[in-house]
Amino acid sequence: MTLAALTREWRAFSYGFLDASAKREIRRGLVKAVAIPGYQVPYASREVPIARGWGTGGLQVTLTLLNPRHVVKVIDQGADDSVNAASIRRFLTRVSGAAATWDTLAASLIQSRHRVPEEVLRDDQILVLQVPNPEPLRPVEPNMSIARQMHADADYGRLWLTLYEQIVRSGRVMHGAAYPSMVNGRHVMAPSPIPRWDVPKLHMARHLTILSAGREKRLYAVPPFTRVEPLVFDDVPYRVEDHAGLTCHRSGLKGYFMNEIPQDGGAAFEVSDSHLGIKAIRRRDGEAVVIGETWYRNGEMQR
Amino acid sequence: MAYVATRGGEHAIEQAERLYRAQMGTITPTRVAEIERALPHLIDRVMGEASLYAPDLAALALAQAGGDLYEAILLLRAWRTTQPRGQIAAPVRQEESLAHRRISAAFKDIPGGQILGPTLDYSHRILATGVVNGSDFVPPPVTPAAKPAPAHHPSLAAWQKAQGLVDDVAATPVERDKIPDVTREPLLFPAQRAHSLQSLARADTGGLLALGYSAMRGYGNAHPTVNELRLSEADVRVRHPRGTEFSAGRVRTSQAEVVTTRGNGTLKLGFAATLGWNEVKVIAAATLDLNAPGAPKNSPVNEEFVLYHTEPVEASGFCIHFKLPHYVTFQSALDNLRGARVAPQPAKAEEPA
Repeated sequence: MTLAALTREWRAFSYGFLDASAKREIRRGLVKAVAIPGYQVPYASREVPIARGWGTGGLQVTLTLLNPRHVVKVIDQGADDSVNAASIRRFLTRVSGAAATWDTLAASLIQSRHRVPEEVLRDDQILVLQVPNPEPLRPVEPNMSIARQMHADADYGRLWLTLYEQIVRSGRVMHGAAYPSMVNGRHVMAPSPIPRWDVPKLHMARHLTILSAGREKRLYAVPPFTRVEPLVFDDVPYRVEDHAGLTCHRSGLKGYFMNEIPQDGGAAFEVSDSHLGIKAIRRRDGEAVVIGETWYRNGEMQR
Repeated sequence: MAYVATRGGEHAIEQAERLYRAQMGTITPTRVAEIERALPHLIDRVMGEASLYAPDLAALALAQAGGDLYEAILLLRAWRTTQPRGQIAAPVRQEESLAHRRISAAFKDIPGGQILGPTLDYSHRILATGVVNGSDFVPPPVTPAAKPAPAHHPSLAAWQKAQGLVDDVAATPVERDKIPDVTREPLLFPAQRAHSLQSLARADTGGLLALGYSAMRGYGNAHPTVNELRLSEADVRVRHPRGTEFSAGRVRTSQAEVVTTRGNGTLKLGFAATLGWNEVKVIAAATLDLNAPGAPKNSPVNEEFVLYHTEPVEASGFCIHFKLPHYVTFQSALDNLRGARVAPQPAKAEEPA
């Protein structure tokens, strides 16, 4: 017997790029994140071959979870063919051997920047959201060690105060994307900059959502069947973007989150979940295409 | 499928990358070797920020990135993080490393002497335009000193401690294999001493300079005097599986110790060290280290503020990420703006008390 027979051949990189110690740390972090919904778990956050701020947190989680049996979907702002999504998808398949898809229904693992797909996710699917800023308290407390203390004390008074001030100044809540939301009645989280339209999709969902910020070195999770409640006052209801009445000028879909495309003399709209749009066009053209059940119907969130 | 074809996607990013790489052309071993030979200070800076001492890989990263420093550092960091951590070398002690340059601004002469070593400090910065016109620039040869400088020097702070000028810090001994490693653990605040010094060693030279300079100009609370600045070569001492210690080679290191006289009877020290010879970096970093204790939260010399904002890979990555599409978040905010415009403004009298 030789030494060579006992070891694997040297390779420049491990399977799935990250080495085993990095994956182990993330797995442990994920277990903790699932056990304490909404709590930000610090992790070392290794460098990966894409720039920080470009999805390195999501990428590390996806690389840890991926195996060759997975079918992965990557979207950026709702689109599969967006340049950074294409880059991440190419990297993931290259280092893991997993299959790739654009179809939400076919995916087992979805890495997304700033959108939750419109088709309802199942309990055998995992959604990994890329997070630029994991700290909902950042606007009121930029210092992370103080913010950590405030979470420990469930001290969210200053967040409520900013909401109140917005109502007084502007007549409405002015929080756009990344709407601060209470998870499991304990920790307020930044649900990554998904639009307000998408936050209710996380509430009591069947799927697991993992949120990971590579640059800021924090990961957190919304386990299945967990309450996710946007911070609102009893007399000022939560409002999603006013997109219920908009129609996609390409696919004809109506009642989903839209991209606004400036045109001469006005604007056109196209559905932000690009593959849903593609499926609708194909169906219109006579192809047998399966479109899954969607969270919203006729612009109304279904519960 | 017109819906898809009108967008960039995979073909576009591939071609964009080719366009970028076409600027540099073929990267040959000769080119990489020439970069390593001709640009030692750039190599040092990159190795320090990448926290990976590998001059050949640093030269390769520079060649591959076409000289974009942040790209080169990311290439090296992404390589470094995948490599197994074989073992932890013995701590480098300044009195044992081979000093090439060692100066103090605090005293005219110091035990062991002032050793100028290699420096451009007193050179006249005149561009050698002759090279552009076709003639070589041949640096005049060095005349060896009649009496060679000693290779090893005691630390000045040791003398100051003996004189009672500097408090002897009650250091808690840490087992060599248990030294915290900021590349494998999250950085939390208040930071462990090892994490702070490692973060400063890996930090962006320009970022440290900007914040350090602001402290020097008066936004900090302590004015630095360079107590001791050293450029050395240090042995990397590792353990053979049989137990014997041996030097696996030498690395170039820089370290700076700055002091402030502002205090109650004793000098306060600030310290920083990094891989490679990079004087600006260690003086700025030591100044920030000097200013950090007791600095108010969110001040530009507060430790958390300094360490978060001088991380080169994170800072540069986040800066360039703003090129990514943000139309979902923009749309969400636009919806609020339009809503606020049409919402009736409460009349003054109705304003809550």
